[in-house]
Amino acid sequence: MKSPWRLSLLLFVVFFLLLAAGCTGRVTTREVSPDEKVIYDEGYHFSDKKTIVADMVKSLLTKYPLDRATDRPVLIVYGIANRTSEHISTSAITDDIRQALLASGRVRFVNETQRENIQHETSYQYGGNVAAETRIARARQVGARYMLSGTLRSMEKDQPRQFRFKKKTLMYYSLNLELTDIQTGLIEWADSAEVIREASKPFIGW
Amino acid sequence: MCFSLFVNRTAGSRLLLAVGLVVLLNGCAGRLNKASQEYYAGQPREALALLEKGERFSSRNELLFLMEKGLVLHQLGNYRQSTEQLLQAAQLIDQFYFISLSEQATALATNDWLTRYKGEYSERLWVHSYLMMDYLLLGEYDSALVEAKQALKVLGRHQEALKDDYFTRALIALCFANLGEDNDAYLEYSKLARDLPDPAPVARDIVTLAGRLGMPDEVEKYRPYVVGPLAPESSELVLFVANGRIPRKQPGNFVLPPSIRFSFPYYQDQHTLQPWLRVDPPVAGMLAPVSTDMAVVAQSSLEARRVQIIARETARAAAKEALSQSVGKDHGSAAEIAVRLGLFLLEEPDVRCWQTLPGRLTLLRVPLSPGHHDLTLLVNGDTGGEQEIQLPDIELRAGQRVFRSIRL
Repeated sequence: MKSPWRLSLLLFVVFFLLLAAGCTGRVTTREVSPDEKVIYDEGYHFSDKKTIVADMVKSLLTKYPLDRATDRPVLIVYGIANRTSEHISTSAITDDIRQALLASGRVRFVNETQRENIQHETSYQYGGNVAAETRIARARQVGARYMLSGTLRSMEKDQPRQFRFKKKTLMYYSLNLELTDIQTGLIEWADSAEVIREASKPFIGW
Repeated sequence: MCFSLFVNRTAGSRLLLAVGLVVLLNGCAGRLNKASQEYYAGQPREALALLEKGERFSSRNELLFLMEKGLVLHQLGNYRQSTEQLLQAAQLIDQFYFISLSEQATALATNDWLTRYKGEYSERLWVHSYLMMDYLLLGEYDSALVEAKQALKVLGRHQEALKDDYFTRALIALCFANLGEDNDAYLEYSKLARDLPDPAPVARDIVTLAGRLGMPDEVEKYRPYVVGPLAPESSELVLFVANGRIPRKQPGNFVLPPSIRFSFPYYQDQHTLQPWLRVDPPVAGMLAPVSTDMAVVAQSSLEARRVQIIARETARAAAKEALSQSVGKDHGSAAEIAVRLGLFLLEEPDVRCWQTLPGRLTLLRVPLSPGHHDLTLLVNGDTGGEQEIQLPDIELRAGQRVFRSIRL
């Protein structure tokens, strides 16, 4: 009487082992378009960066003072402070903003991160090894007119504790940017871009 | 009739237990124990080599390996690599909200050693404490603040169990203050002042921040606790001082005849004294240190999980009893006895824990004038003798904070 039961158990075990073997050791990949939104959870994703950078660049170029500027004003980027609860590379945001603004042809940027190297290279050129006629002229660097700075913030709200099978989280990101006139110290432009997302994850599974 | 007794293990039963566990568990736990022994023998490099040796460790102990490795790397001054390990540990902990039914079923039929180690609430917090320290030591203050916020989430979830971790709470406040987030820093310092036995170690910060935020009543309330004149914020040296070792979890057992065995882990009642710290040459206006007895927090953390442990143990005992009776019904009393014996031996409390943690963490803040400083840290430990630690040369700009980590 017990042999059919044993046989089914054996079949089940074999089937399970085959299934498990099939699930391991294979890596699948697919190409993702830069415009495609791929979101796994409530956290910060590369598509968020794309959205907020596009919003900010549009606002900068269409509002005072850059909309009226005809002399390609010089900007310096002073970084975006990360005040979220995630390790987000905010320099990637400033890099993208700088790239998009440069591509517009309406502004120029001082390379603040390369200042030490510029100084080093200039000193080398004046160190005696470089022909005088090919040396760069000193004191010709361009001073920045505006300073671009900002803060990325986040707020997280978990669903209150109660009996449920899913964990819901609401995430809010806001990027605040400002453009300061270095000569006057006045903030000439400020704007913000927001991303709000709700995620639901199961508590229980196999 | 039911009665209870504590198990008095004989050599034979110990052997059987050991054999059973060796069969059930792989060598991961042994490797962790050896690494901890090397670490406490003053050989952190050997401990690291042991943790990095051999094949990939099992997912059951993955969190332990990451935490141990992160802390050993911190001790070796490899703060960048330490953050990499501890960030992986934090990511792993984040996944533990998900309950795997297959894992729970396995644990119900055997014991908790077969489940993934999820870390005590206190250990989950200390992953962020060490990450905060690492980032501050690396000068990455934005990242330290990210970890401070993560630590706040853990503290919020297990408020009562973790409230005595004054060190981590002071570190969180410092991360906020360090980036000029005055309001958040003030909130954390004032919550800490309410819970500390004496608010003196944080009174000066509260008075300064409350003054800037326009709260004269708070300034008046905490000014009497400020020792010496209230100087404007100067540069300072911040020392993270670790001493002693955290007690290890011990196996506790409780038996109900004929073969029901409840097992539970507990922490030994072993505490580490706060070292008496001074700097030479002496510095005026030094704040009283903020210190955490890690054993106290670990004990209250395990205590907070007690109900959960009892519920799981009861369910397991019921499942094992049902299984034994069912085998007895189908195959006779000899088979039932064998199954009962096997299940009895299989029941083992999960005593896994983060072993390289210190027994105490102390935050010492030394106000210094801008410029070059050559300081010695004088330590009076619980053994009575004075220890001199030469601090590396410190160069400070006005208003700058520098951070150093020391394990005594």
